[in-house]
Amino acid sequence: MTLEEFSTQFGIEMGTLRLWIEKRWVIAESGTLREIDVARARLVRDMQIDLGVNDEGVDIALHLIDQIHDLHRAMAELQQKLKL
Amino acid sequence: MTDPYDILGVARSASNDEIRKAYRSLAKRLHPDLNPGDPTAEEKFKQITGAYDLIGDPEKRKRFDAGEIDEEGRERPPQWDDRSYYRDYADSGSSGYGESQGYGDFGNEDDFLAEFLRRNAQARANRPGEDLHYRLGVTLAEAIKGGQKRITMPGGSVLDVTIPAGITDGKMLRLARKGTAGAGTGSPGDALIEIEVLPDARFSQEGSDLTMDVAISISEAVRGGKIRVPTPTGTVEMTIPARSSSGTKLRLRGQGAPMGGGKRGDEFVRLSIVLPKEPDPALEEFVERWESGKAHNPREVTS
Repeated sequence: MTLEEFSTQFGIEMGTLRLWIEKRWVIAESGTLREIDVARARLVRDMQIDLGVNDEGVDIALHLIDQIHDLHRAMAELQQKLKL
Repeated sequence: MTDPYDILGVARSASNDEIRKAYRSLAKRLHPDLNPGDPTAEEKFKQITGAYDLIGDPEKRKRFDAGEIDEEGRERPPQWDDRSYYRDYADSGSSGYGESQGYGDFGNEDDFLAEFLRRNAQARANRPGEDLHYRLGVTLAEAIKGGQKRITMPGGSVLDVTIPAGITDGKMLRLARKGTAGAGTGSPGDALIEIEVLPDARFSQEGSDLTMDVAISISEAVRGGKIRVPTPTGTVEMTIPARSSSGTKLRLRGQGAPMGGGKRGDEFVRLSIVLPKEPDPALEEFVERWESGKAHNPREVTS
């Protein structure tokens, strides 16, 4: 999905979207969003628009969410090793 | 589908602002990406989002309140249709998010972690049984001499307990593997037996020292002699010195209660002169003629 498509579909201004990319909240390799990037951008949108979380809050939440998923991955790897 | 007002927990008369606040506070708790480990979060979040779509929009709310649309019949904006959440992708591998910080170095220590987790799982499956506690009363003689006791534990099992000689009150005996059974290959717990040394009513006890009153005759008091006196474990022969008075305390060293370390306190014998029960004419005649005896006043302090 292109940035323009996302902007239109979810009602996020292009300027806002670029800010998210600048803050590394969302990755847009060569101007396109992978499925995971769309899902993450929608999470940012939910937090900012529906939940009223400010920029600092989004930063903290994303950082913590990333750590949870890194832990999930590490646990999954360990479980895999334990099965062998 | 239940009533959207109920789902958001607001009154039908609630203002738009109250509805928005209620939705936000629920959504913060239930958003699937803020609850990566809760599989039910997505369904709950869909419900509150659906409810908010309906009554959070003043136009739709009016129509819903007027009965023009029901909970089922409303149109939903496309972004809420079976969307996927970030959490659906985030665990699957190198995504470019996270990784570089936080637990990025986690994998380098996975040998340690794997070992830790393996042991953890094993420990849970093969956890040891629990210790059983029991209080056992022993007589003073048993505490001194030691011996065997058969007891029934709280679980109903019968145990033969060896009481070591010289045990003291409050000592804990541990019978290895006599507690409850463990799980899997886990070892059974221990039986923990707390010893309570019961006092011997014949003695008054102070610490590990015992005191007993022993009656002696006038003859024994005057001439001295050997008598047998009780100890906690039997009797011993004791020498009464000539001219002993009532109240004299004689020490039997090492015949008291155990004091730990294989040592025992002392037993004290307190003499008490007792006259014959029946009147004795010879004794009375002697005392009548005993001039120096009449002159002796034991209440006078002599130096």
